[in-house]
Amino acid sequence: MSTHTAAHGSHEGQDINYLNHQKGLWSWLTSVDHKRIGILYLLSITLFFILGGIAALFMRTELAFAGPTLKFLTPQMYNVLFTLHGAVMIFIFVVPGIPATMGNFLLPLMIGAKDVAFPRLNLFSYYIYLAGALLALFAVFWGVIEARSLEGALDTGWTFYAPYSIDSGTSVTLMAGAAFVLGFSSILTGLNFVVTIHKLRAPGMTWGRLPVFVWATYATAVIQTLATPVIGITLALLMMERIFGVGIFNADMGGDPVLFQHFFWFYSHPVVYIMVLPAFGVVAEIIPVFSRKPIFGYRAVCYATLAIAFIGFTVWAHHMLVAGISDTSAIFFSIITFAVAIPTAIKVFNWVSTMYRGSISFDTPMLYAMAFVFLFMIAGTTGIYLATLAIDVFYHDTYFVVAHFHYTIQGGAVIGLIAALHFWFPKMSGKMYNETVAKFAFALVFIGFNLTFLPQFGLGMMGMPRRYYDYPIEFETLHTWSTVGAFLNGFGYTFALVNLAYSALFGKVKASSNPYNSLSLEWQTKSPPIHENFEEIPVITEWTYGYGKPLPNTHH
Amino acid sequence: MSSPTSSAEVYQGPPHVHHMDPVTAYGAAKLGMWLFLATEILLFAGLFVAFAIYRWMYLGEFHDASLNLNWKLGTFNTIVLLISSYFAAVAVDAAQHADNKKVSRCLMITIACGAIFLVVKYIEYSAKYQHGLFPQFGGPNGIEFERYKSYFGLYYCMTGLHGLHVILGMGLLFWALRKAQKNRFSAAYYTPVEIGALYWHLVDLIWIYLFPLLYLVG
Amino acid sequence: MFRFLPEQASEHAAEMDWIHHWVTDISVFFTVAIVGAMLYFAVKYRKRGGVDHETPRIEGSHFLELVWTIVPTIICIFVAWEGVRIFKDIRKVPADALTLYATGSQWKWDFEYDTGKKTTNNFVLPVNKPVKIVITSQDVLHSFFLPSMRVKVDAVKGLYNYVTFKPIKTGDYRLFCTEYCGKDHSAMLGTLSIVSENEYTRWVNDKSEKQTSPIERGKLLYVEKACKSCHTLDGTRGLGPSWLKLYGKTGKFVDGASYTADENYLRESILKPNVHLVEGYSPAMPSFEGQLSESDLAGLLAYIKSIDGTGPKTAPAATTAQQPAVDLTKLSPAERGKLIYEKGKGAGAPCLACHSLDGSKLVGPTYKGLYGKEGKWADGQTYTATDDYIKESILNPAAHVAEGFAPAMPPYQGILNDDDIKDVIEFIKTVK
Repeated sequence: MSTHTAAHGSHEGQDINYLNHQKGLWSWLTSVDHKRIGILYLLSITLFFILGGIAALFMRTELAFAGPTLKFLTPQMYNVLFTLHGAVMIFIFVVPGIPATMGNFLLPLMIGAKDVAFPRLNLFSYYIYLAGALLALFAVFWGVIEARSLEGALDTGWTFYAPYSIDSGTSVTLMAGAAFVLGFSSILTGLNFVVTIHKLRAPGMTWGRLPVFVWATYATAVIQTLATPVIGITLALLMMERIFGVGIFNADMGGDPVLFQHFFWFYSHPVVYIMVLPAFGVVAEIIPVFSRKPIFGYRAVCYATLAIAFIGFTVWAHHMLVAGISDTSAIFFSIITFAVAIPTAIKVFNWVSTMYRGSISFDTPMLYAMAFVFLFMIAGTTGIYLATLAIDVFYHDTYFVVAHFHYTIQGGAVIGLIAALHFWFPKMSGKMYNETVAKFAFALVFIGFNLTFLPQFGLGMMGMPRRYYDYPIEFETLHTWSTVGAFLNGFGYTFALVNLAYSALFGKVKASSNPYNSLSLEWQTKSPPIHENFEEIPVITEWTYGYGKPLPNTHH
Repeated sequence: MSSPTSSAEVYQGPPHVHHMDPVTAYGAAKLGMWLFLATEILLFAGLFVAFAIYRWMYLGEFHDASLNLNWKLGTFNTIVLLISSYFAAVAVDAAQHADNKKVSRCLMITIACGAIFLVVKYIEYSAKYQHGLFPQFGGPNGIEFERYKSYFGLYYCMTGLHGLHVILGMGLLFWALRKAQKNRFSAAYYTPVEIGALYWHLVDLIWIYLFPLLYLVG
Repeated sequence: MFRFLPEQASEHAAEMDWIHHWVTDISVFFTVAIVGAMLYFAVKYRKRGGVDHETPRIEGSHFLELVWTIVPTIICIFVAWEGVRIFKDIRKVPADALTLYATGSQWKWDFEYDTGKKTTNNFVLPVNKPVKIVITSQDVLHSFFLPSMRVKVDAVKGLYNYVTFKPIKTGDYRLFCTEYCGKDHSAMLGTLSIVSENEYTRWVNDKSEKQTSPIERGKLLYVEKACKSCHTLDGTRGLGPSWLKLYGKTGKFVDGASYTADENYLRESILKPNVHLVEGYSPAMPSFEGQLSESDLAGLLAYIKSIDGTGPKTAPAATTAQQPAVDLTKLSPAERGKLIYEKGKGAGAPCLACHSLDGSKLVGPTYKGLYGKEGKWADGQTYTATDDYIKESILNPAAHVAEGFAPAMPPYQGILNDDDIKDVIEFIKTVK
């Protein structure tokens, strides 16, 4: 079995770990321990997930029936809702998402380090994130107060397209500033992770022995570091345009509105890979453990991860195929978008092959991982529709796109996060959650999610445009079903999160250090780990995925 | 006087970096700074791209507008920054040789050069403001001229962002200066000087691109 | 599943639905295969009796990696290729396409036809005739989407985009705005009615009040805005290219790049003439930015398109009253100068194209208060607008450019003689 040097805590019997070695709110707020910082991020992003989710439920309620449904909800308020839903979910929830929470918690543990390369920078990154998030909230309040109505909060869509974002009287400048600040947090975290992986691997932990999650975190961190400055400058130019009327994006002054879209999507396409690559990593960690088999095609999976990160920088204008770019540009970007589909397909094939001749258990994390495969097949194949130039002409800016990106982001990144939270819950809290409630919540989430978004593909096929407060009557049936699904989805998440929170705070069932018998390094420590992670830095002599009986005639 | 007398007294680095040995810590800091420089380049790249596109679209007017810039002051500033970079590099070498007094002197000169650069920029900015060459006003002597808005908007954004980085660089070097004054540096530990100098070289490099683009080529 | 797609009301809808069908087949196949395999493995290899059974440490298979890299690549190449091929097909505009203009604004669509017919939100087209709709925006981004015709393109201020299609079925079809544009984005609905040719002809010629057609408008502007001074209609070369058969013409710029004179390029030449210069011409054209509304521009484009060699080749006469023959010697120098100012001389563009009399800043400085004025050149030196300097500006304007102006003025060397220049200066003196 495992030949890792086991890192037994000499604190055994005393039960001191990172959660209780220093107590009090102040110790939590000033801790540079990557594990505590990960928890801080987790609490913050969960709060904003709930806010973003509430906005979504209001939207879905309004959309359930044709004609005005909620009396107090004006069209402009609807526009504010979808804008805030997008901005909060993307900038404040999913982009920090798995890297800031699980990445922070797990990375040093997985590579055999005591912390990240720059622990104080890590805490600083968290406070920048918090500042940005609070600035965003302030932007909302400011807009509401200025306009004396809920309609005054941001209403440009999370994409801030010019010229509307320049003319709009709502709090665009403040919100752009908030996104700018949040970007810094992302850059610094990415930078920290890249240096950590390069410099702090334990002896014997070669690149070829790193868990797939670490590879995924690495690729994600590179994208965070290199792509985020571009959105920074885009937002800065937008703010300059609004404040000084410079004219760069203003056609009246010889500017070009489409240029804004190029700048915006140059970051915002790579950002979707920031959101989803870590989730791919999570799935690649869970499936081997619950199949008792190595990840199939480890090298291919790692190379595919890097390929996705790289190609992701080149395809941005596929969001603009009908925006008024030349036909030649459209053709180029359509073709190159197909290139990113191939490594993704390779990964899916490898995950499923991992289960071949395995010994499969159906703990909650495995259920989420298997659901991920199903959901991402739909996400990926619907991406093919959109990449196909002739088809995109029809589907661009319709509900088909909305369904596609919810399958990739929610069905991908969010399911990945929930899977990770369940999987590493024992490690993080030292306790077990209630498995029955967790499985029930999973069923609700899965059914609810599909019921919400599958009908939206149908709506897209019928030609229903995006960002519509109201719609002609023929679209109603599918919308009604979608709303039912949304509420089921919401209940599912509520059950899942309450279960985890309750178990963490009040749970009685203690977790052993390695309840799932994983071979990965983070599981060779106590649950929860001690403050320094390891008594002594381990020396690694084996690959992380040495499950099962070695085949004859194989070498490693 | 600034050389340590025994290895037991050699300052290895700040105490908070407890989870890394000094060699790793140094390597990590350097890699971290290089990555940060990469992000800075990408930040400015966006502005350079915007400038290039608009210059291509409005060559005549952009050329015209650029004639309003004072190339003499620009040249002076370029020389000032080059000198400052030289002294930053000398500081790194001095730190490696544990000559903390020399490190202090060189860093002070570098910082002073930075300050001179900023003063000259202030002179340039205020002169332009008086002439109405500010994005809000449009053109010289208050005459509205649309293209001047784009040009000067980009000009102020690019040079302003650069100026902000000069200030940040000065801050970083000041931090290293404080440590030099406490005799911290030697062959065993000179990280702050090195990464401060790296950052300063980038600040200089960006100006080397900005200066010809804005002042000379126009 | 396909009952969701709207009816195929345009000729290319079937093609688009065909590739859509293929992608669906491929997607469904792979999704079922992969998820099926996953569920099959899950069930077949499930842990039994709460104890893990022995598993083989299979690490991978080079062969399989190759297979499932190559097969998806081939499929992607096929789908990408077809997608591009069909896209190129649907973007081709047939030569006999009916053209109309659509302008999106918050929150409606305005249409204008060649006959001058204008309509808002609900528009009509004849069945079985290809059409090209040129689309722009008056304010923010909008997007023009006809699901049943399978066409969509964004409406961008400052840009002309187009959709082209051939309706094959009569009926009423929805028009959506599909790029978020503010409060009433979802209320910006329209209807396209496809009717028989006769019904269409009746509709499009029925105008409630006299509306100038785009071509008529363009014709008036050709004279009024002095395009006439530099561009002929009969093919002769003037200061600028002739408008005869200009639309769609290809050629080269001075930097070697080639161009096609389509709507976007013609628009750019009118608003920003200095961006691209056609080989063999000097950069003399002033910019008309700020002087033409979207409607004017559409009119000029329509008029330029109409100069295809089939109509009259002579320029329309000015719409102002016929000019009586003028005995120039009876006029004062200032009056003669004024004539030159207004009408130009020979091949030279009239001064009024670029210089106002009322103080407003056009491409060139206003004549009001110009004589004797002090100012600065772009290089910082000061000047006084003396007779000598004004003469220099007329004959060799590139020598000194006043601060705040672009070097756009063409030289009048060889066009105006010394007496002409004296007259012009006398005129300028009178403009206070």
